[in-house]
Amino acid sequence: MRIKAIKGLWIFCICLIGWAVTACTEQPQQAEERAEYPAIFPDYVGVTIPYNIAPLNFRLDFPAERCYLRVGDQTYSGKQSIRMDEKKWRKLLEANKGGQIEVELYTKQEGVWSRWKPFTITVSEKPIDSHLVYRLIEPGYEKWHIVGIYQRDLTTFEETPIIRNDMTGYNCMNCHSFCMGDPGQMLFHMRAANGATYLLQNGKLQKLNTKTNETVSNLTYPAWHPSGRYVTTSVNTIRQFFHSVKERKMEVFDMESDVVVYDVQQQAILSAASLITKSDYETFPAFSPDGKWLYFCSTPAVEMPANYEQIRYNLCRVAFDAKQGAIQLPIDTLVRADHLSATFPRLSPDGRFLLYTETAYGQFPIWHTDAEQRMLRLSDRTQVDMSQMNSEDTDSYHSWSSGSDWVVFSSRRDNGLYTLPYFCAIDAEGHPAKPFLLPQEDPEKYDYQLYSYNLPELVKGRVEISPYEIQQVALNEQPKQVSFK
Amino acid sequence: MKTQRLIHPAGWLLLALFIAGSFGFFEVHYRYFYRFLEQYMLFQTTEGYWRDLLGEPGGGIEYLAEFLTQYFTIPGFSSATIALLLGAIAGGLALFLNTAGCAHPMGLALLPGLLFWFFPQESIAPLLTVAVACWSAVGYNSISRWAWLRYLVGFLLLTLTYFWAAPANLLVGLFLGMAELSRREGTKSGLVAVAWLAVAALLPLVAMRTCFVVPMREAYLSKYMCHPEYPIPSSLIVFGLAYPLTAAVALLWGNRVLIRKARWRLPLAVGALCVLMAWPFLTCKNPMEQAYRYDDYARRSDWKAIVTDAQKRGVKDINALVYVNLALSHTGQMANGLFHFPQIGVEGLIPKEPKSRLGLIQASEVAWQVGQVNAAQRFAFVGVLSAQRCVQPRLMKRLVESYLVNGEYRAAEKYIRILEASPRYRDWAKEQRVLLDPAKAAQADWVVAKRKQLPLTDNPFDLTVTYPSAIAYLVDDHPDNQAAFEYAMAYLLIYKDLGTFMHYMELKRQRGEAFPKAYQEAICLYFAMNADPKLFKQYPISDEVKGRFMRFMQQARTLTPVTAKAQYGDTYYYYAQFMRTPKEQ
Repeated sequence: MRIKAIKGLWIFCICLIGWAVTACTEQPQQAEERAEYPAIFPDYVGVTIPYNIAPLNFRLDFPAERCYLRVGDQTYSGKQSIRMDEKKWRKLLEANKGGQIEVELYTKQEGVWSRWKPFTITVSEKPIDSHLVYRLIEPGYEKWHIVGIYQRDLTTFEETPIIRNDMTGYNCMNCHSFCMGDPGQMLFHMRAANGATYLLQNGKLQKLNTKTNETVSNLTYPAWHPSGRYVTTSVNTIRQFFHSVKERKMEVFDMESDVVVYDVQQQAILSAASLITKSDYETFPAFSPDGKWLYFCSTPAVEMPANYEQIRYNLCRVAFDAKQGAIQLPIDTLVRADHLSATFPRLSPDGRFLLYTETAYGQFPIWHTDAEQRMLRLSDRTQVDMSQMNSEDTDSYHSWSSGSDWVVFSSRRDNGLYTLPYFCAIDAEGHPAKPFLLPQEDPEKYDYQLYSYNLPELVKGRVEISPYEIQQVALNEQPKQVSFK
Repeated sequence: MKTQRLIHPAGWLLLALFIAGSFGFFEVHYRYFYRFLEQYMLFQTTEGYWRDLLGEPGGGIEYLAEFLTQYFTIPGFSSATIALLLGAIAGGLALFLNTAGCAHPMGLALLPGLLFWFFPQESIAPLLTVAVACWSAVGYNSISRWAWLRYLVGFLLLTLTYFWAAPANLLVGLFLGMAELSRREGTKSGLVAVAWLAVAALLPLVAMRTCFVVPMREAYLSKYMCHPEYPIPSSLIVFGLAYPLTAAVALLWGNRVLIRKARWRLPLAVGALCVLMAWPFLTCKNPMEQAYRYDDYARRSDWKAIVTDAQKRGVKDINALVYVNLALSHTGQMANGLFHFPQIGVEGLIPKEPKSRLGLIQASEVAWQVGQVNAAQRFAFVGVLSAQRCVQPRLMKRLVESYLVNGEYRAAEKYIRILEASPRYRDWAKEQRVLLDPAKAAQADWVVAKRKQLPLTDNPFDLTVTYPSAIAYLVDDHPDNQAAFEYAMAYLLIYKDLGTFMHYMELKRQRGEAFPKAYQEAICLYFAMNADPKLFKQYPISDEVKGRFMRFMQQARTLTPVTAKAQYGDTYYYYAQFMRTPKEQ
């Protein structure tokens, strides 16, 4: 009798669970048709995504009792958010590579189901680099607290620290840079405690003191030569001040700056390859993918900070001879800063496009709401229309995927304060598609996270060096002094 | 093992006395300290918050600590929580010792708790950790029949206490080792004890390689016992080790009796405990008590209470002075009340380049009061991000307010959403959510008032660095900004810069505004030094002020310092003549 009762109870429970599961995922039969697209966060309506991206989990941007999603041949349901199954999602993207996925969303509010206007997600057959490396930092003013450089596997939701400052004395760490997206060739800086430039190459991490008598500061904003032998960086004396009016927050500017080239083999800054002048400020350098050109931003030196609003940077380039380790004048100006200032030049790995950021003045646009992405087609030096990519808020730092088909850029479009990484497909003509925000397993993560995604860099694989290895070098090794030749 | 005995009723009496004493001590001496600390935690009901905490060593304890701490602003709650936790620890330790064969353990078990009186920690997490360790040891020792079950439970306890309550595992390891040794089963006891210690000590190392990427210190001690950026306070180490040491002493002492006559034991124990508790009770001095008290009043906008208390008790500390001056401004008494309190210069008006927790709160409060919303927002922001847990709900509220005033609604919503996830701040946040509608914000009185005073002229001056220039811009932009004007005049009067002061008085006169008594006194003094009867007559100086000033001028040289202070100590000219000018920043 007792066994029968237990059996019966089990069957009842299984039926109940089965009913609950099917009832939850069952498509609503009667629903009011809505003519508009659903307000969801992140906004994935009509975006183009790579076929190897993690599921686009999202939450509703309005209160609802339940929601039901049909994405391709799959269905999901939830209360206020939708979380998709990773395996099923991968199958869905594989099946629709180069095509589009139909998305249909139903929501239940005050007991009534609504069917929102269906939308599509375009699945590109071009993959994006598998990892994104970024610094998580409070979008602070003069102080930092917890800072870390992290890597995120874009094909899953796995995020792991490369190094976090609680392991190295709560110092500042910044400016991570990779050689052509190679996770085995990385450079970043630590400031204050254990301050040095850390350079990873051939599985070995070097700790370098990069301040020399001939340069105004430690190496600052870096970019690698494709050969992996050189790193070009700026050296800057950086200052900041705070505005008192509500329209502006703060200003970061250089009192002086130059561009130098560091030779990894010789552990020396090469004077023949550097642009060290008193008459101009040079900053934010980058090599072309063929290694033959050194791109940088430049402006005539003026009294600072008195003229902070008048300073505008040209986008220039100069020939670089990798064999000699020297630049060859003259300087070629690609974008003349007549009315606006250009910064962050980054070339597509196929060498066809130059992506940069434009702002009203200065070279540090993160607090400039007018900052926008600009793209120069290098073959004919014409501008590509980037309006699809830009927003009304700050759109600034960017990085290319190794296939030249995707870029990631940081944007403050969501709340005007925290920068978040957006990905954007770039077609053969350089035209951008509608960008999409880095998907998270918990779609509410961005709502409660108090960190900005700083310097998003796409990388072709996982950075293998362990945080503990970096910690040991930072804490126990003396920095090696680089020379100036 | 002998048959277990429950603790003697006398032990429970001692425990009750200790809990009551602890409640009284913390209520009298540290009530405002723990209310202040409440604002450095933010318990949230979100999944991410729960998951993040449990993903760190000791996260379970922190979750509980933050849950309890959110109620610390309720009168008596923090003291009651601490007292009960100290009691729970002592009770747990006594029970553990009892099960390990110690006959009268309560007296000893209470002693380490007194260390918390002398060295109160900034969080109740250490208390919760020790409580978990003691009660885990009780649970382990209560299994006496099946050794294999006891070992299994011991291993589980060590693992769980590490992941959820680190560094409780270290204490548990020590307690379990002692428990095994107290069984006196020869080599076996020794081996098991060593094994427990080894497991407890090695678990963090294993976890560092498999579960967490954390620095060694956090792997062992968790980052919630104390501020991870500073050295571990030795008081925390002493407090943590006091319990296993006490246990070891108690177990070595065994059943020996200190006082042979049974009827003397209880009265003597009660007497000794009372003496031990009375000593810190009577001698404890908390120099920051007044500042924390005023901070609590300021949080509740009870500005009158600050002024009243300062008038009654005097101002003992620079942080308290900043709040007193701010309270004078809020209550409209700054012009006349300023020199009733000892002024030390700009640093009494606003902290200089604030870095401390209190300094950043005060700088934000003062900047907000004088209408420099960007600065109030900046100090709030730095206060939030530099906090140990990167949260500061009170300053997050200021961020919401400042973003609403500046019309940055999306940024305001970010913080509203976070505060809505906290039971303690949910209601407030929901009220602000309504103001995310620009039309509704434009109708809210406080938003309108703040927007009316927003700076018009951009300038790079920082109130905490170049105070005179920064405040002058605010006054020049909005001469009707009463708070900024009074703060500016306070600066000029404190530094006896009557020339510049008169520039503003002239403008005030032209606007036909009334002159507070202190301003009238300063004007009298100015014209006494710069005779211009015609111009002086144009200022509305009351006959009473004039008459008193004349008397002062006639008597000043003949009055003794004591008499002068008694008769004219409340006047500005007394301050100007007899008090030293503070050094300029």
